[in-house]
Amino acid sequence: MSTHPGPRARLAGGLLLWYAVLGGAIAWAVHLIAGWSVDELTCANGSDRVGVLPLRAAIGLAVVLPALATLGALLAAALLWRRTARTPRGDEPERRVGRSRMLAVVGIWLNILFLTIIVLGGVALLVLPPCQV
Amino acid sequence: MSTRDGIAAATSTEALTTELPAGRSLGWWGMVMFVATEATLFACLIGSYFYLRFQHGGPWPPDGIAKPALLRPLMMTAVLLPSSIPVVWAERGIRRGQRWRLRTGLAATLVLGVTFLVLVATEYAETLREFTMTTNAYGSLFYVITGFHGFHVFVGLTMISWLLVASLRGGSFGAHRHDRVRNVAIYWHFVDVVWAAIVFSLYLTPRLS
Amino acid sequence: MSTTAAPTPGASREDLARLEEGWGERPSLRSWFSTVDHKRIGRRYLVTASLFFVLAGLSALAMRTQLARPESRLLSPQEYNQLFTMHGTAMIFLFATPMLFGFGNFLVPLMIGARDMAFPKLNAFGYWVFLFAGLFMWASLPFGAAPNAGWFAYVPLTDEGNTPGLHMDVYSLGLLFLGIATTAGSINFIVTALKLRAPGMSLNRVPLFVWAIVATAFMVIFALPALNADNALLFLDRRFGTHFFDPAHGGNALLWQHLFWIFGHPDVYIIVMPALGIVSAVLPAFTRRGVVGYALVVFAMASIAIISFGVWVHHMFATGLPQLSYGFFSAASTIITIPSGIQIFAWLATMLLGRLVLKVPLLFVIGFIVTFVLGGFTGTMFALTAFDQQVTDSYFVVAHFHYVLIGGAVFPILAAIYYWLPKITGRMYHEGLGRWAFWLFFTGMHVTFFPMHLYGLFGMPRRVYTYPNEPGWAGWNLVATAGSYVLAIGLLLVLIGVVHAVRRGRPAPPDPWGGDTLEWSTDSPPKPYNFPVLPQVHSLHPTWDETSRTSMTEGATDDRIMADGRRTLATSELDGRRERTVDMPESSLQPLLLALAMLVFFTSMLFGWYPVAIVAGLVVAATIAVWLWPTRRPEQELGVR
Repeated sequence: MSTHPGPRARLAGGLLLWYAVLGGAIAWAVHLIAGWSVDELTCANGSDRVGVLPLRAAIGLAVVLPALATLGALLAAALLWRRTARTPRGDEPERRVGRSRMLAVVGIWLNILFLTIIVLGGVALLVLPPCQV
Repeated sequence: MSTRDGIAAATSTEALTTELPAGRSLGWWGMVMFVATEATLFACLIGSYFYLRFQHGGPWPPDGIAKPALLRPLMMTAVLLPSSIPVVWAERGIRRGQRWRLRTGLAATLVLGVTFLVLVATEYAETLREFTMTTNAYGSLFYVITGFHGFHVFVGLTMISWLLVASLRGGSFGAHRHDRVRNVAIYWHFVDVVWAAIVFSLYLTPRLS
Repeated sequence: MSTTAAPTPGASREDLARLEEGWGERPSLRSWFSTVDHKRIGRRYLVTASLFFVLAGLSALAMRTQLARPESRLLSPQEYNQLFTMHGTAMIFLFATPMLFGFGNFLVPLMIGARDMAFPKLNAFGYWVFLFAGLFMWASLPFGAAPNAGWFAYVPLTDEGNTPGLHMDVYSLGLLFLGIATTAGSINFIVTALKLRAPGMSLNRVPLFVWAIVATAFMVIFALPALNADNALLFLDRRFGTHFFDPAHGGNALLWQHLFWIFGHPDVYIIVMPALGIVSAVLPAFTRRGVVGYALVVFAMASIAIISFGVWVHHMFATGLPQLSYGFFSAASTIITIPSGIQIFAWLATMLLGRLVLKVPLLFVIGFIVTFVLGGFTGTMFALTAFDQQVTDSYFVVAHFHYVLIGGAVFPILAAIYYWLPKITGRMYHEGLGRWAFWLFFTGMHVTFFPMHLYGLFGMPRRVYTYPNEPGWAGWNLVATAGSYVLAIGLLLVLIGVVHAVRRGRPAPPDPWGGDTLEWSTDSPPKPYNFPVLPQVHSLHPTWDETSRTSMTEGATDDRIMADGRRTLATSELDGRRERTVDMPESSLQPLLLALAMLVFFTSMLFGWYPVAIVAGLVVAATIAVWLWPTRRPEQELGVR
């Protein structure tokens, strides 16, 4: 592991941090808007298919894909948490690592929370027929 | 460097704790937040369009109004979307202190933007004979959304003219002072992107169903 | 831990004189109108919002007086409708949010160790717009033209056909006007907290109150446009004959509700979250320790801010959605209670583990927890659809949201008034008077609103100007009215306490409570430049930590004094690394002029003087153009080739 990563590795690392913090939130937003609009619009048209897919499968995708993305963010947050376990010496590195560790904690909890919401939505999909009013 | 090394480097403590974003100016953040709230406003309007459309059911546009003609909006798109290029070119120029590029680029965008507004006016001249804002909800949506966007283009053009006047005066912008240029550029790109969303929602999707 | 004497300034006498010259404002009529000092603007926000609170409170007292007895004819139905609409609208839009923004304005730069907000002129502009929008709305009341269809203004009741006259035009234009102030203020808070934190204040050292204000500001940025779009469409429907909400011409009345609640649900948190931030700021001083679980509280605020956008449909469960899409929203509605619970338990743990100092601010915090939890309890009862349909539009709902909003916003605001009064005015309040105020307010609040649960269950509908003598109604209504007078006396004592402190209070030391955040490291009231030396922050509790404190005295360096002109430090977004000095604007009359031009614009829109509106619009554009016009600089400084 090189101690001085290049600019591209730094960019990737910085983006990975934000994925670890906000990935679950964005995935949940996509899940909510996709699941809700597909369900409501298809049912309003009196149809049970979205293109070639059955409606239930389409909504299923709107649950599973965001759930996987959230799981990925959770793993990224866990990685960030492990990588920030040791606080280096010196004020500037201490702040950098301390700040990242706090974001890791926030990210872990956010992702667990959003994963729960998405999974609960998935349970609703298993229990309820998609167009029952 | 192999992929494996690349991943190792990107997931090292050093890389993960890279400060991103950093070094942006106050004005940049202010403009980005302003654009975010404006974009939400347009999202609400376009969301209202789809909501009313799907709640309405039946043929869309309703009441025998013809589907929107495509030729003119495509021309408008061909004028407006590329108008961001001269802005980018002008901004890069002034970052290097080249004032002539700033002036030329802004003037080119001004011409393209005004052309767009003229095209909007000719479109209205045609559609107004068929339906108005008070004909039905479709008419209300069409004129309010395109009109509100047109107003944003007008505001953007006012900003660009203002920049142009300031840059012609001299002593305004240079390699070290160009915050205002960049902020206007952000706003102008935003107005462009919103137009793409409007073309898709108001002009293309009625033809898909 | 606490410093009683003023900190020895690390800045020399000459530095202080130069700072005073750059930042000080000689009191004059002009400076009164042109000031851009965040502390003066923050104080004005507080005073103006309190004034609107008094007006809205007097409206409530008038209504309670009417309702004391059945078949009362003190107020006409028309007057009553306008009073309850203005009461709700003003409490939500003209009191709660501006009051909390007032604390934010005064405190955020002090807490993060900056000399002003990021955009001081925009800040002044926001205040003037808030003032004018509030006056614009209240001015309609004496003419009998005030909004009269409830604070959420559902169509079709608010259509031109059903509510003719200016009433709802005042509502839609007034809120659009006010929205400009709220949006400008929010952008300012976000940029200030991102860029102007003192060097060393990385994200994990930001005070919880600042986090709360920033989370609130983000919610405003993304929620307010929905309300603005809604009001714009309503105005177009009413005035210009469009058909957005008109089912006869392809519109849909439910569109109003969707857009309103996309805004409305986050707005509950927009009101409550900064108040919760106040609680997190007050507790450390009176428990002698930091709030337990800092990162978890930050997580709770972030998650509430995000999830609050995904629950609006739960205000509309009776509108015929497929059960499944309803399921997606109720998953979010259920889970959002977890972060709220985390905050409550974090505070309880803080109080349990700390050493309690029972002063008036802490009393109000305890009152907040009791009242807010009771409101949350009735809130969960609404989740049972069968129960919800029984009590909808009854006084039970009125009881519930007054517990939530008085508990969640007014108690913390009162705690904040007592807590920061020494900092804002430089004077101590009278402790005994404050205790009387607390007990009267607390008792009055519960005596007023608890009976509403009961007669709501007995079937009394809300928003009726009078009522017949049904069993159980009259007696409890009389109790509620009596309670409301006790509540009012409690609030009067708060006012007397503030006036007494300003007039007679003994001078406040810089840090009367032993607080942990940076505002306690500077004078009470702070100098115009806030800090003679900007601090170098080394921990989450800089006033409690020796190294951060001495960075302002013996450890002062010239690059943190910046005595020339009006300058403050910009630091990096996440880690608070020093980036550059930024020049702050001088005081100016432009913000006032711009707000006045907008007032003319909205007034002429209201009365249909469209040519005047166009002229006002041009004045607005011209003012902005002059405001932002670049100052002429020599070519070398600009870097021109």
